[in-house]
Amino acid sequence: MRDGRRAGEGMDRRGFFRIVGASSAAAAAAGCGKTTEAILPYVIPAEHIVPGAATWFATVCRECPAGCGVLAKSREGRIVKLEGNPDHPVNRGALCARGQASLLSTYDPDRLPGPRVREGDAWRPVLVADAQKLLVEKLAAARQAGTGRIAMLTQLETGSLGRLADEWLKAVGGRPRVAYETFAHEDLRAASLAVFGVDAIPYHAFEDAKTILSLGVDFLETWVSPVGYAGAFRRAHALREEHSARVIHVEPRYSMTAANADEWIRSLPGAEGAIALTLLRLVLESRQIPALPAKEVAALVAAAGAVDVEAVAKQSGVPVSKLKSLAEALVKGAPSLVVSGGVAASGSGGVDAAISVNLLNYALGNVGRTVRFGPSSSLSRASRYADVLALTKAMAQGEIAVLIVKDANPAFTLPARAAFAEALGKVPFVVSLSSHLDETSARAHLVIPDLTPLESWGDYSPREGVWGLLQPAMAPVPKVGPTNPDALDLPQLRAVRDALGRKAPETFPGVETKATGDLLLDTGRALVPGSEKTLFLAKSFADYLRESWRAMAKTVSPKAAFDGFWEDALRRGGYWADVPATKVALRAGVKVSAQAPPLDGSATDPALLVVPSSRYYDGRGANKVWLHEAPDPMTQVVYGSWVEVPAETARSLGVQSGDVLRVESPHGAIEAPAYVSETLSAGAVAVPTGLGHTAYGRFARGVGQSPYALLPAEPTAGSGGRRWLGVRVRLQKTGRREKLASPAGVTEVDHSREIFETVGLTEAVKLERGGKAPAHANLPSMYPDLKYPQNRWGMTIDLDACTGCQACVVACQAENNVPSVGKGDIDYGRSVHWLRVERWWDRGHGGAAATGHAAVPGGIGVAQAAETPAAGRPSARFLPMLCQHCEVAPCEPVCPVFAAYHTADGLNAQIYNRCVGTRYCGNNCPYMVRRFNWYRYEWPAPMNLQLNPDVAVRDRGIMEKCTMCVQRIIAGRDRARDEGRLPRDGEIQTACQQTCPTQAITFGDLKDGKSRVSRLSGSSRGYHVLGELGTRPALTYLKKILREEHA
Amino acid sequence: MSAPSGTERPARPIAGGAVGASPTFADVNRDVLRTLDFPGSAYFGWMSLIALILATGIGCWVLQVYFGMGMAGKRNPQMWAMYITTFVFWIGIGHAGTLISAILYLFRAKWRTSIYRGSEAMTIFAVMTAGLFPVIHAGRMWYAYWLIPYPSERFLWPNFRSPLVWDVFAISTYLTISMVFFIVGLVPDIAALRDANTGWKRFIYGLLAMGWQGSDRQWRHYRRAYGLFAALATPLVVSVHSVVSWDFAMALVPGWHSTLFAPFFVDGAIFSGFAMVLVLLIPMRRYFNLYAYITDRHLDNMAKLILVTGLVLTYFYACEGFTSWYSGEPIERASYLFKWVGAYAPWWWLQLFCNSVAPLVFFWRPARTHVPTLYVVSILVLIGMWFERFNIIVPGLAHGFYPYTFGTYIPTLVDSGIVIGSFAWFLILFMGFIKVMPSMSIVEVKETIPHPVRDGHAH
Amino acid sequence: MAASTILGVFAHVDTATRAIRELRARSMRSIATYSPVPLDEFEEALTGHGLPRSPVRLFTLVGAVTGTASGFALTIWTALKWNLITGGKPVVSIPPFVIIAFELTILLGGLCTLLGLFVTARLPSLRLSPRYDPRFSADRFGVEVTCEAAERRAVEDLLRDAGAEEVRG
Repeated sequence: MRDGRRAGEGMDRRGFFRIVGASSAAAAAAGCGKTTEAILPYVIPAEHIVPGAATWFATVCRECPAGCGVLAKSREGRIVKLEGNPDHPVNRGALCARGQASLLSTYDPDRLPGPRVREGDAWRPVLVADAQKLLVEKLAAARQAGTGRIAMLTQLETGSLGRLADEWLKAVGGRPRVAYETFAHEDLRAASLAVFGVDAIPYHAFEDAKTILSLGVDFLETWVSPVGYAGAFRRAHALREEHSARVIHVEPRYSMTAANADEWIRSLPGAEGAIALTLLRLVLESRQIPALPAKEVAALVAAAGAVDVEAVAKQSGVPVSKLKSLAEALVKGAPSLVVSGGVAASGSGGVDAAISVNLLNYALGNVGRTVRFGPSSSLSRASRYADVLALTKAMAQGEIAVLIVKDANPAFTLPARAAFAEALGKVPFVVSLSSHLDETSARAHLVIPDLTPLESWGDYSPREGVWGLLQPAMAPVPKVGPTNPDALDLPQLRAVRDALGRKAPETFPGVETKATGDLLLDTGRALVPGSEKTLFLAKSFADYLRESWRAMAKTVSPKAAFDGFWEDALRRGGYWADVPATKVALRAGVKVSAQAPPLDGSATDPALLVVPSSRYYDGRGANKVWLHEAPDPMTQVVYGSWVEVPAETARSLGVQSGDVLRVESPHGAIEAPAYVSETLSAGAVAVPTGLGHTAYGRFARGVGQSPYALLPAEPTAGSGGRRWLGVRVRLQKTGRREKLASPAGVTEVDHSREIFETVGLTEAVKLERGGKAPAHANLPSMYPDLKYPQNRWGMTIDLDACTGCQACVVACQAENNVPSVGKGDIDYGRSVHWLRVERWWDRGHGGAAATGHAAVPGGIGVAQAAETPAAGRPSARFLPMLCQHCEVAPCEPVCPVFAAYHTADGLNAQIYNRCVGTRYCGNNCPYMVRRFNWYRYEWPAPMNLQLNPDVAVRDRGIMEKCTMCVQRIIAGRDRARDEGRLPRDGEIQTACQQTCPTQAITFGDLKDGKSRVSRLSGSSRGYHVLGELGTRPALTYLKKILREEHA
Repeated sequence: MSAPSGTERPARPIAGGAVGASPTFADVNRDVLRTLDFPGSAYFGWMSLIALILATGIGCWVLQVYFGMGMAGKRNPQMWAMYITTFVFWIGIGHAGTLISAILYLFRAKWRTSIYRGSEAMTIFAVMTAGLFPVIHAGRMWYAYWLIPYPSERFLWPNFRSPLVWDVFAISTYLTISMVFFIVGLVPDIAALRDANTGWKRFIYGLLAMGWQGSDRQWRHYRRAYGLFAALATPLVVSVHSVVSWDFAMALVPGWHSTLFAPFFVDGAIFSGFAMVLVLLIPMRRYFNLYAYITDRHLDNMAKLILVTGLVLTYFYACEGFTSWYSGEPIERASYLFKWVGAYAPWWWLQLFCNSVAPLVFFWRPARTHVPTLYVVSILVLIGMWFERFNIIVPGLAHGFYPYTFGTYIPTLVDSGIVIGSFAWFLILFMGFIKVMPSMSIVEVKETIPHPVRDGHAH
Repeated sequence: MAASTILGVFAHVDTATRAIRELRARSMRSIATYSPVPLDEFEEALTGHGLPRSPVRLFTLVGAVTGTASGFALTIWTALKWNLITGGKPVVSIPPFVIIAFELTILLGGLCTLLGLFVTARLPSLRLSPRYDPRFSADRFGVEVTCEAAERRAVEDLLRDAGAEEVRG
């Protein structure tokens, strides 16, 4: 990327971006079919923007605190796709579903284009200057009234913006900034402090562990740094040289992470601490731990001291034998890694659990090896939940005159009991700097929306030693619309159209606002006389950022010239260096209790597990329609939330999936449809986070329910964190039904159909030693084999690597202009996804890996007489299904007009313009991966700016399907040709492959015997889905390895 | 005139025994021309009702074109549903006509003479109705003409490997040949109309008669040509529905991919075709008072044909079940079992009742001439045959290879409206026809009745 | 010497047939008949044998053969135009093409038969024979004979004696 230098000069770059943007609006409209708009030529020929050629800008994903590095693909001045930054140490080129979808917050049709002032219930648009004047007046007044009357609440900002905000607050005499993160994992910090005297969340080196024990941690979904940890998990778990790490997951709920573990042990809610402490004791008793100073051993023994294994077995529902085998596994399988502190388990007993786990890791000698305190997570710099409460209190008591909120949405994410909304009402003047009108901003008096991360300067440090740099990859979204100028708009048919929910043509005014950084500098200068010489010297936030990096450069690379350093950082997306693990010592006299405090509510009710959603996170994902359309990995539900109820409980209540339940805790109640689960521990119910918005745009509003309403307000003793695990709930049938929408039909694995194949570990090892490709992969054919003059493109998908996270689904949707069809149509089998990640239930040979348990009174689990046999419980299998690009494709010969045919390089091509829509191919595809455009789908402005100009937007009435990203193949070929060579193996990547956190997908040339893909498709684990049909797919799946025989 | 009631036996048996109390040549002309008298209010009442239904159907179709195929209930996996069902149904109906006129002609079955004109008309209109559906069904029906081979500047031609293109050829050929056959058969009768009319009617019929005057030369070539048409049409009848059946047999879908389909469909087509003939002729006979020409003998014969084809069909059902069981292929079996017990099971059993059980009543002689019985059974057969096609297409697709996409198709108002509208379209064409053209062949009926002689036989 | 044409209108087949026989006995060759139905009696009386002979079948044959040929030609030629491979099958895959060829055989065969009928039966013709009588499409039979003016009277008598209801010139 040679744009670093230009990226330096912020303003003029924006200048021409405006022009570019304006014309690209037309270009985009051109993308979505027929248009009447004129396409303007560039007024000023833009340097480094070659029409038709993509430009890439390195920046940072701010969708969650993990701070993955991304490359933003710019076409004619607008970002059309985000991809993981391969150089970035956190995510190494991968991106999760949320990261892929974060692009949409820039193109959200309901994002605020400019400042607004509240008038009653209405918003009045105001000019940026006036808005700033108003703000300054209010701030001045607040300063008059005395110090500490100005408060600021932001999301976790670990970079220059945070620093500027803090300086600004100090200068104007405000209270210390509250950096609010919903999932701040305070318990982990508290435990580190208690055990090692370090207030930090360490880096967990999954990649180096031979045995991984997770006590309720969803490290593949949302925990701390899910993409990075998923990659690390895979690196440890992959079968290499006949070895692979053993992964054991203990949790009451069968989460996606549990489904990817070799063994899932179903515990009762809140038993993590007791289990960890027991393991500590058993490990110590094993006398096989690495040598430790006597007094430390004594301390450990003291801590483990009184724990009674029998009692714990009862309380946790994990049999003693199992506990013993776990301890043995940890001792034998060094280096090991034990993690705790998953959201659903933090709260009551969470701190004790984390402390026990720290001790356990210490005893096992993991601290410093797989648990590293040097590169600690920046989450440790987020404010504690208690601090947020304190601010709320101050607000309620009228101590705050001006509250500034940015990118934090406490009005939605805090427990209803915390009464943040009410407190907000007590604040005379609330200013929101969020770019979207979420629940908190909706209650503000003034909104000066910040630009989205793709449009802004900034930096973010996800962990020690990693500084990510954000640069404006595009100009603020320009004026757009109408999105479908050609749409017939017969007045007679409007009623019908509305009844169908089809959109009328839309427009977008174009963003005209001031970036928060610049705003702070200007207001600071206006409020604090003389500060323009000192504190707020920088003329723009861009300069401020540059200066703070100059300062940093002095420390990290004193020798290098700054300009080079800066340009290099822009190009690479930041600066990172390896941070050695700092030595930590065990503190003396660590106290820990095995007995978790009881939950609020009657002891006979099930405990509420609040499950952080892998799609919506704490709720900030809910305004991105792609995330609604991608099914939940485990339940496969789209749009809307649910109450996961154990089958036993459901039976006793007489409830089936889809019956609306009233879930009542001592602190509140919600009503949501039930999802009957065969896996969830009796004595628990689970509700996912993220939905139930009352504001935050058309896609978020009114979808689903939020568990936050049920939670207690008071923080966890000992850590000041949220009590996520804090209540028991009473379930009540309402009699209403609300069908859970899902694209899934029958998902029971039918072993008579060659769809999902598995292989045992020993067998897999045997195969690795020297098996050969399965014979039936190429059934005999009556016809001569096809000749491929140049390449034959093919793909392999390693089912052992796929975690079912749905990242590829969203990436595909972003890359290929796949329309969003809405809840009803997805449920009715009209999803247009080219790629779907299917969750299958396999009860086949011996059922789930999980071990059964008897729920016993006394523990946190509720008294449940019946014991669930493990065999009855299914295991989840994840199967990414897309066009198999069959050599003998059933879909091709039936097409009457040659719309479907086989290209010379082995692709099963679909020519949209030629398609008449007989849908014969759709019937004849045994994999059911061909998609039909049932309507003309709309991209409300400015979402149409995101459309990939390299991919046609399909009109209604035609068939479409996976093309193996043919546009990328062509681009790659052209690049190679320009350089007078053949495409290198791995140079061309499909969108799904590129984003996969565990690199389950490999694409390449099957003709080139040395290519990775042809090696893998020849693999002895390889098989073809429905291979007996003799369709000869170009896709080869690698069987999932079942490692249960470990146990 | 006082018509002899349909139930009384003919006064004296005559050639082919087709006709009851034997009318003279003059009677025949009079009786047939009578059917073309200006219709009464009942006729117009029915017509306007049917027109209303047709209008509704067209309205539904407009909605579908405007908003997209989503307006119809189709989905993944049922990319095909009621439209193709109805298409196959109408093609099937379109079989009896040419069968009666061609095959029975070659077999010299004289009883056909009084009914073949009506059934031929039915054939033409049924095929014209069927022809609508591929177009209605296409996602971009405005490009449906791409299925027809025509020279384009890009040399893009249809894919002749696709059964759908075979359909285009089979059906258009069938329609053309049937029409030629039909029109050639009409010419002498139109000449009779010409001679019986005056003024503008005479002029128009005169043009249509193309100068027919029944000269020996004309008759000579006419009969030869007619025989050849019959000879050509016969293999065509068999081929058309075979080709249609290959739409399914050529596909991979479990329950479709079967060599059984061609004979299975042809037989079903004849079965339903005769049912439709009865459904149309029985009221026509009453309305036009044609008891003298369409007699119990005809009803009896057609009942027998329905019975036989029905039994054959039942045999095919058995084969279907047996092959899927004997294949030992679990997916095949599951798919078949799904028809028995799955979401669409009621329709499956309804089909079996209508097609395999109901016709059995015709083993009982009186039932074969008892008009109400005939009528009810024919209607049942039509219902049964529509659902047979439905049960092949919709449940077949619902339970294919890939369980993850199993799902249930639910019709919407739009596709139901269009399907119902197609029946109205068919009836409008037919009822219009019987008022402008002789719905019974003057010439052939005359051929079968004793020719006027003065003193004994000519020889 | 002027020839004149006489038409006899008969109510019965047998009388008309007898008239034809007698005319032929008097070696009258240019006899034409009109009848509401095709009559083997007339055919026999006119030609001496019953079966109608007609060249129509030649048209049919030509048409059918052309159909088959063009069927294969069209499919193979168009397939080669683009060489598109579908379903791993050869570009020129004969079995499906047979169906097209078959349909075209029937189609062209039929259309040529129609053509043959038109050509041989002189259809369509705008003008009817001046002596054509509307009753010929109902229940009357006409026998039309062309003879020397001299024989006119004799022929008329012959027709009347044979049983013609009416005889006109």
